[in-house]
This record gives sequence, structure tokens and C-alpha cells, in this order.
Amino acid sequence: MKSFEYAKARSVDGAIQLSTSESRFLGGGIDLLGEMKEYIVSPKRVIDLKTIPNLDRIDTSTETWKLGANVRIAEIARNDQIRATLPGLAEAAAEVGSPQIRNVATLAGNLAQHSRCWYYRQRDLRYLKRGGSTCYAREGENKYHSLFSGNPCISPVVSNLAVILAALDGRVIVRRGEQKVTFAIPDLYADAWNNPLAHNSLRPADLIVRVEVPTAKNRSTYMQVSEKRDFDWALVSCAAAGQKTGSQWSQIAVFLGAVAPIPYAVDSPLLERSGLTSDSIASIAESLASKATPLTHNGYKLPIAQALVRRCLDRITS
Amino acid sequence: MVSALAKAAAVAQAAEALDDQKPVGPGPAKLVLQVNGHRQEIAVEPRETLLDVLRNRLQLTGAKEVCDRATCGGCTVLVNGQPIYACMKLAFEMEGQEILTVEGLGDQKKLNAVQQAFIECDALMCGYCTPGFVMSLTALFNEKKNPTLVEIKKACSGNLCRCGTYPQIFKAAQKIAESS
Amino acid sequence: MSEWPKEPKQLGKEHVRYDGPIKVSGRAKYASDMQPGGWLYGMMLRSEWPAARIRAIDLQPALRIPGIKAAVVANNPPFIVRFYGQEIAAVAGVSKQACLDALRAIRVEAEPLPFVVKEEAALSDASPRVFENQPNAGDPRILQVGDPNAAFQSADKIVEGFFQTSVQLHHCWETHGNTIQLNDDGLTCWASTQGISSVKDGLADNLGVPLDRVHVISEFMGGGFGAKNGAGVEGGLAARLSKEAGGQAVRLMLTRFDEALAVGNRPSSFQKVRLGAKKDGTLVAYQLEAFGSAGYASGGMTAAGGGGAGFPAPYIYQIPNSRVQQTTVAINAGSARAMRAPGHPQASFGMESIMDEMALALNMDPLELRIKNDPSEIRREQFRIAGERFGWKAKYRAPASSPGPVKTGVGCGGATWGGGGHASEAEVQINPDGTVEVRCGTQDLGTGTMTVIAIVAAEAFGIEPSAITVKIGDTAFPASGGSGGSTTAASVSPAVFDACQNALRDLSVASGLADPRGSNWGPATSRLRINPVVARGRWKEGLSGHGAGGVQMAEVAVDIETGFVRVNRIVCVQDCGLVVNRLASISQINGGIIMGIGFALYEERIMDATTGVILNPNFETYKLPGAADIPDIEIVLQDMPERGVIGIGEPVTIPTAAAIANAISNAIGKRVNHLPIFPAQILGLLGKVPGVPVEERNGETGA
Repeated sequence: MKSFEYAKARSVDGAIQLSTSESRFLGGGIDLLGEMKEYIVSPKRVIDLKTIPNLDRIDTSTETWKLGANVRIAEIARNDQIRATLPGLAEAAAEVGSPQIRNVATLAGNLAQHSRCWYYRQRDLRYLKRGGSTCYAREGENKYHSLFSGNPCISPVVSNLAVILAALDGRVIVRRGEQKVTFAIPDLYADAWNNPLAHNSLRPADLIVRVEVPTAKNRSTYMQVSEKRDFDWALVSCAAAGQKTGSQWSQIAVFLGAVAPIPYAVDSPLLERSGLTSDSIASIAESLASKATPLTHNGYKLPIAQALVRRCLDRITS
Repeated sequence: MVSALAKAAAVAQAAEALDDQKPVGPGPAKLVLQVNGHRQEIAVEPRETLLDVLRNRLQLTGAKEVCDRATCGGCTVLVNGQPIYACMKLAFEMEGQEILTVEGLGDQKKLNAVQQAFIECDALMCGYCTPGFVMSLTALFNEKKNPTLVEIKKACSGNLCRCGTYPQIFKAAQKIAESS
Repeated sequence: MSEWPKEPKQLGKEHVRYDGPIKVSGRAKYASDMQPGGWLYGMMLRSEWPAARIRAIDLQPALRIPGIKAAVVANNPPFIVRFYGQEIAAVAGVSKQACLDALRAIRVEAEPLPFVVKEEAALSDASPRVFENQPNAGDPRILQVGDPNAAFQSADKIVEGFFQTSVQLHHCWETHGNTIQLNDDGLTCWASTQGISSVKDGLADNLGVPLDRVHVISEFMGGGFGAKNGAGVEGGLAARLSKEAGGQAVRLMLTRFDEALAVGNRPSSFQKVRLGAKKDGTLVAYQLEAFGSAGYASGGMTAAGGGGAGFPAPYIYQIPNSRVQQTTVAINAGSARAMRAPGHPQASFGMESIMDEMALALNMDPLELRIKNDPSEIRREQFRIAGERFGWKAKYRAPASSPGPVKTGVGCGGATWGGGGHASEAEVQINPDGTVEVRCGTQDLGTGTMTVIAIVAAEAFGIEPSAITVKIGDTAFPASGGSGGSTTAASVSPAVFDACQNALRDLSVASGLADPRGSNWGPATSRLRINPVVARGRWKEGLSGHGAGGVQMAEVAVDIETGFVRVNRIVCVQDCGLVVNRLASISQINGGIIMGIGFALYEERIMDATTGVILNPNFETYKLPGAADIPDIEIVLQDMPERGVIGIGEPVTIPTAAAIANAISNAIGKRVNHLPIFPAQILGLLGKVPGVPVEERNGETGA
């Protein structure tokens, strides 16, 4: 790493005051320090957010739960209330990295993390996402890249939590200077769909303060397929959530991760229906094929995505 | 109505808070760490990781630099009882935390149950990943007396072993779990 | 006497590791832990170009960085770089941070050159050349036995296949490197090595230091797998840095990034195979056209050997007519080094896969086909034992016959390996208080050598291993050769035993007791008064042997909707001659199998064709088996004392991938033909990947 100043933020205002055009916020550090060790980013000042009090609370007192930006992934995975009421969220958290990573990684950091594209992360390449002119992945080694994309950058979103929070209609509350900005999850990543240089819609000095999760959807689940059985990025991840009242279903949402720069919404008129049969589930999964734009080496993600959509919907409707 | 005195106090407090936020570095700055129950005062650059400091400043070489990228567990230490990767923590982040390395568990004559079971079950070969596994499993057994095999594997999921000692490691952990 | 005791008390039993306590307590000091007074941190600069002419290297800006004490170039410009990661320069300084800044300050003037990093591309005449004056493909090596053309004509069944294995990296847990101090007194090197003598010779030669002033120590080292012989470029650089820094010790260890680039790998293989048999299953004809890459050093002897990309074919089966053609092709990538059973896992995968194709064509049980054609009696028996233990007859079913969506399948494979002992010497000291010290200039890679020595000495003297102090890994001790080829136990055990016999003779004379062993040990040694008995010994015939076999069977479960593979069970039957330490032998077997699982399912070095760089120089995307990926492993370890100590480290990693690949093919009813086997391949074979045609490259072709 290059040398830098280190400061402990004592409040959200304080963190914003400390930030400069060449500073970065430090959460768990797994993403930021990794980038710094490869000189992909070399901030002159690193601002530790973990010292901000009360940013690690989980508030379940109302129907919309509030999770502070500094809540550790391990806490989300083991929290009894989350496991009971928002099981998909706990499942997604349990699959993040390893115990050592979950113990330090923060909710905000997980959402804001940068691309894992191996060309982006390669220390010696001047690459599209880092301001270069070429995307090497498109005609190169793209087995881990996007199945659906909207712009020249095909690096997919890898945050497990983004996918389940999208399905749960989560909202991310951000301080942008003095302003407070609220992002629905699709909006949080919208810039990544449009702009090759963007990992998400956050600006450099934006500070996530909390995530708000409605608890209306009483069924939720998260699944992923990786090459290894544990401690591995998802090849494809999937989250499904919905509200079941009696035998009626409403608000069913299904999102896919690691297949697009954003958590990819599985859109289907069949999801609006009040009941989901196994035929309609199969149809919904099938419908992915028409929108996919496979690259040379990542077409295999399509059958995996379809299988996960079926399995997630089966699990929440059973 | 806010008195002038109260206003001044608020300004002073805000200033103090800002002072509290005063950046250190980029050159070496004083850092106090609690390691294995001892207070260590060292001058450290902000970019030095906890692993760098443990190994190169404090001569605690039990935690190893294997990948330096939070992917393998060779640098696992316990912070406030929880396993973390020392390579991905700046030393300055660790102020006020209780850090426990393998050296803090004891020595060759005084081994904890995990270490003892590792020897009995041959859960080590070249030994380079061993301190990391010992710390992860020590944390597990501090939390749970008789974990299942699934829980043992989960606790080990952030530690890799190139020599492939996993079966013996599981055996060692199961031996402890069964004996409690 | 050169014979092991007929009823050993220690040999073949389960012994805990001698170095257990020091390693589990984190007190073992490896080369990477050494911190002699005033030590400096060393670091290397590597080429960011896959091919380039280096015109100039300016070290001055690096020397101006505060804390930097020395800087050297790896070569004097101009020179050609032939792979991404090739050594350019090195610096030494008071801290890691100073070195990082210094590396970034070095100015390199380079003219990038054309490059090629994919084997198939490198074969073409139009390809950029790794060496200007020679084609990338070496001359093919052709070996012919009998008359394969005629034999194929006479065959009842012929099957063909194309099989591919990827470059595998050693990824020793402790990276390569040394802590070296070079001053007027001489050179001391704490090395992470499999061959202290090779490091000593290399450094003496490289730095022009007399051999009697070079001292190499490697008491504990974090894994070798064949990649750590000689001092390496890094050793030479560390020594020069130390000298330039005025004799301060320099600790220069490679980073994990470096390990993926420049210190060895297992060559790739591309195998076109043809096999012919009679309808009763007798194999009559075999043909192989293969190529692979050993990196830029196109088949030449690389550091620590390993040679080219060739491998034994038709591996373990007896086939009277064969034609084998192999070519090594150079690419702009780091060169190969011997990696745990060099050539054999590649050979086994190709051979065992085509054997299963033949079994299908003949409608014959794959296990029966193997037993029928395996010339090794030991291995035939191992196949039988494994078959029973595994339940092969009940488990083997026609391909893709288990109900989905998670399909199960089984497969098997066999191994052969040399092993055996080489020249080795040891010294034994018996103290008047009855304690014993054994000194041997050998290495323990995690292989358990220290414990083997303690066991052998304990056996020889009729005392407990806990009474033995073992000292290894020091060139001050009797030379014992490098640790490679699974030969250490077979070399060191006889040498130690011989030393003990000589020591016993002296002790007998000194004590007046005809047999000082066992219960006489105390009385005998107490008669020594002040002077210990010190005796040397050397390796002798009669205590070690050659030729290990081994078979493995695998059961897998494949989710045919997602392509995810789970290895559920492996059964291994393994011989290694006389078992010295049963506990450590079992550990070696588990370890070899797990490395084989990596070769089968996860490990490949990925080069980018356009930029020539490595895309996965870390464990995030170069994947190693983790705790959740480990199957149930059942081991039958055969103890054959009459064959002497043979060695076990390598045979155990050979047939694993073959067995797993066969099991997967059996599960899904399609031949997997490319290692590592990721979900993408499974789904492609099943016709589920849009735009990927199901290639019909494998299978029955006639007769």
C-alpha cells in the first residue's frame, strides 16, 4: 500500500467533515485494503467508520426494521429475530466469505463493495473500469462475468445482501453531505448498469448510514451456487421473497446476483398472480433465456440461474 | 434558552470531538495495542497491518503471512474472542481491542485442548497453517462445548491447508467435542 | 546387519509427530520467521510484461527511499524477459513499507515484445516465438513398441478420446525464500527448502563463497511439493543484497502473487488417445499424440528438474503395441518444476478415462477390465481389496442410471511410483544419561522425517521415541540428499539405522554389555561416564525398496441442474513397503488425495491471451479444496515390511482425479475430458449451455 493518513470518525457528520477528494471510508476493510494492496486505489486518507457510535444497531421496534451501516455480517447471520422473520437475509449473510470475514465485514461495506472482475483487480492492467479504454473480459476470460448487461462493462454485482435486500424491498439511507438520500436497491446499483466506471450509484463521499427493511414479506429465501462448497463467490445467487396471507400470495419478487451489474429482477407477469404452480414457476425460470446475452464462457450461468429461480420459488411456496 | 456558557461548552465539545478525529500518519505514529494480555507501545505507519506489526515489530511469528489477502486463514488471530484475518486489519484499527495470538495460548509445555488434540490426531504436517486453525477452533470451543461436525467444518471454513490435513483436524475437533 | 527387526516395537505403529508441540504452539521458526539482529526486509520487482527487451534499470530512485540499504538487478540490461513475473530487481530495507515504496520507484525501460500464452496458439507457425531462434514446439519424442497399426486392425473394439489437464501450481503454504546473511565470515542461509545441500552448492557457486564458509539451515519449512530445490533467483538476490548492505541479514520471501508466476508448476497436457482391445477385454493397441507446456523453458531442464511436459504412457496397463508421441511447447509463462509425482496425474487421467470408454464399448465392468490388464500383482490385489471395501459391484451401474436431479456415479484408477532410497548419512550420539541425539542433513516438509528418525533410532535401541532428540535441516550435519521423489524415508531410515548399529557396537564395547538395548539401556549408558558415543552411518541395501502402487475409487454426486459436483467418498488402498509411522502415512495419503481433488475439480492457472498476465494469482480464483469440500476418505494402508521402506508422498496423489472424473462421467453419462471439472463443463456436456454444441469427440469409433 502507499502511505496514508488514518482517522477515526466519531460521528456521521465527523466522517463527512474528514472526507476529502482523496479519502476513502473504511468499514470491515476486506474490500478497501485488498484494493489498496494492489494499488488499484491509493487514498491519501482512510477514515475509519467503525468508531462512530450507534451505527451497529439492529432496530426491530417497528414494522420496518433498521440495520445500522456498521452491523457486522456475522451478526445478521446469527440474529434470532432476523432468522425468524427475514430468513433470506440471514441465509445470504451466512454465505458471505468465511467466519473471519463475517466477523469484521459491515452491511454497508458489503453493499458498496467494488467489482471482483479479475481484469479490474489485476494490478498491472489499465482496464475499462479503471479508466482505460478496453474491456478485456468481453472477448477474453469471462466465465464469471455478466449474463445480462446494459453497457460495455460486464462486471456483475457480487454482494449477496444486495440480492436479498432487493427482493425484500430494502432501502439504503445515505448521507450525501448535508443531504439524506434514500435508494431502493435497484437504484443503488443503477449507475453500474449505465456507466462502465461505476460500481454502484454512490458518489465518493457518500456515506451509507443504515438499511431499512420492511417486514411485510413473511417468506424469503436466498441460495447460491459456487464452484466450491464454502468460502467462494457465487457463480449465480438468487433471492425470492413474498407475502403469504392465508393461501394468497402477493408482492413476490425474485432477484439474481452475479449475473448483471445490478441485482437482476426476474420479471414475469406470472409473479403477479395470487398462486404459483410448479408449471408457472418453471415458466418464470424459462423466461430468463430470452433476455440473456451469454458471452463465450459464461452461458452456463443461464441453467444455474433457472435452477435457482425454480428452487427459491419452490422453497418459499412450499 | 441556551446560555452562552452552554453554547461555549458545545463548541468546545465539538472541537474536542474533531480533535478526537485528528488523523495520524502518514509517517509513524504512536500506537498502543493489547496483545496476549500485554500492553505494547510501538511507532507504526497507518499502512502497517496488524499482521505486519505482530510478526515484524512484536516478534510474534505464529500468525503467518500466507496470502496477505484474507483468503486463507494463515494469519487468523482472535480479537475480543472472535477470529479475524490479521492481514486485512490496519494496526491502527486495533486500538482498544483484545488481541490473542497462538503465543498467548501457552507454550510447548502448556498446550490447550485444541493443540493437544492436534498432536494426538496428527492434525498437522508442515505446520504453516496450524496456528490459524488452532485459533479458529479455540474460538469455537470457547463458544460451544460439543459442536457437531457441520459446525466444526463451518468454523474451519475460513482456513485452508495445502498439505490436506483436514480429515485429521476434524478428528481432533470431534475428539474434543466427544470428551466434553 | 541390514535388516529390519522381525517384530518391531516402534516401526509401523502410530506415533505422534516429534515436531507437534513446537508447531501447534506457533513456536517453530521457519525461514520466513527469522529475524537475526539488524535484519533487513527484502523484496523483488518482477516484470509486468509477458515479453520484453529490458534496456535499462535505474535503481537510484529506489536507493533514495528512506530506509533502503541496498538494491540490485537480477540481470544486467539489456536482457529479454520471457514471462509475466520474471525477476527484474530486488531491494532491501529496514521495513516492508520502505521496500514497497522502493520497488515502485525503480525505473525500468522496456520494449514490449510479442508473446503467446496459450498452448494451442503457440503450436502454430504464425505464433510469436518465445525464443527468437527456435520454434515454440520442441521436436516430438516418439516411442513405439510392437506394431500398433496392425494391432488396431486386429482389435475388436477401438475407442478414442481427447483429454486435457490444466497447469497446476504448487502453492506451498510458506512461500519460497530465504533469510541470508553474507559477510566476510561467510554465508548463513535460513532456507525454505527441500534440499539444503542444493541451496549450499548453489549459493557457494553463485556468490563465490568457499563451501566451508556456507551454512544452510532449514529446520522447519512450510511445504515444497517439488518446487523448492536450489537457492532460486531469490536466494542469489538476497545474498547480494546482504553483501551490499554491509553484511546485514536480508529476509526475502516471495509473495503469494509471485508464487503463481515464477517458481514452478505442473505442465498442462492435451492428449489425443486411441485404444484397441479384443472382445474379451485384452488390450492390444494404444496410441497417444500429446503436447503440453512447461512454460518458457520449452522442455529444457528447469530449476529442480521436471523437464518438459511429457508423461508415462500408456501408464500402468500392459499393452503390447503402442505408439506414443509427445511434444513440449513453449509459452511465455513461468517454467514448470517437478510437482508431486510429475507427469503421473496427467497420465493417469488420460489413461483411466479411455479405459472407462473401453469398458463401456465392451459392456464390461471397468474394474474387471483393469484387473485383467494390470501387470502388477500388488495392484491387482489392491483393486480387489478396494472393490470390496468400496462396494464396487453394487455401486457400479450403467452411466446416468441413477435418478436425478442429483446423480451418483463411481470411478477408479491406479498408480505407480518409484520411491526408494539414495545416499544418505546420519550421526548418532548416545549420552551418558541415556538420552540420544540424531543428526542428519535431511529435510522435513511436513512429511514427518523428524518423527521417522526418532522411530528408527528408538527401534534400534529398544527405547522410546521420546528419549530421542532429532536434529535435521542443517548442512553442518551429515549430508543426506534432497527430499524429492518420495525417497526421504527410504534414504534416511537405513542411514539412521546403520548409524545406530555402529553406535551400539561402540556402546557395547564401552559398557562391557553385549546387548545394551532395551532394559539394558540405562545400565549400559551410565557406564559411559563423561564421553558420549558418537557414530556415523550410511544408507545400505536391504532396508529400502522400490515401486509403490496404489488404487483409488471415488463416489460422486452431480447436480445436473446446476453442474455442482460433490465428492462423497474415496477409498484408497496403498502400499509403501515397510510403514515407519502409520499415523503420518495416513496423513500423507489424505493429503495426496486432497491435492488430487484440487487437480480434479478446482485448480488451474489462468493466463489471459490478450495481455499475457495471470488472472488468478491468489486463492480467490485459484481455488483450493476447503473444509467443506473434503469427502469421507477410507484408507487401507498395506504394511509390507519384507519390501523395505519405499516412500508414499507421491503415489497417493496420482489416481484421484482419474477416479473422480470417471465417477462424474459415470454419473452423468457423458465423458468429462478437461480438468479441472467445473459446473460449466458438466452443463455443457449435458447440452444445457446456450451456444455450446455437445462435442462428440469421445467414444467408440469402430473396429
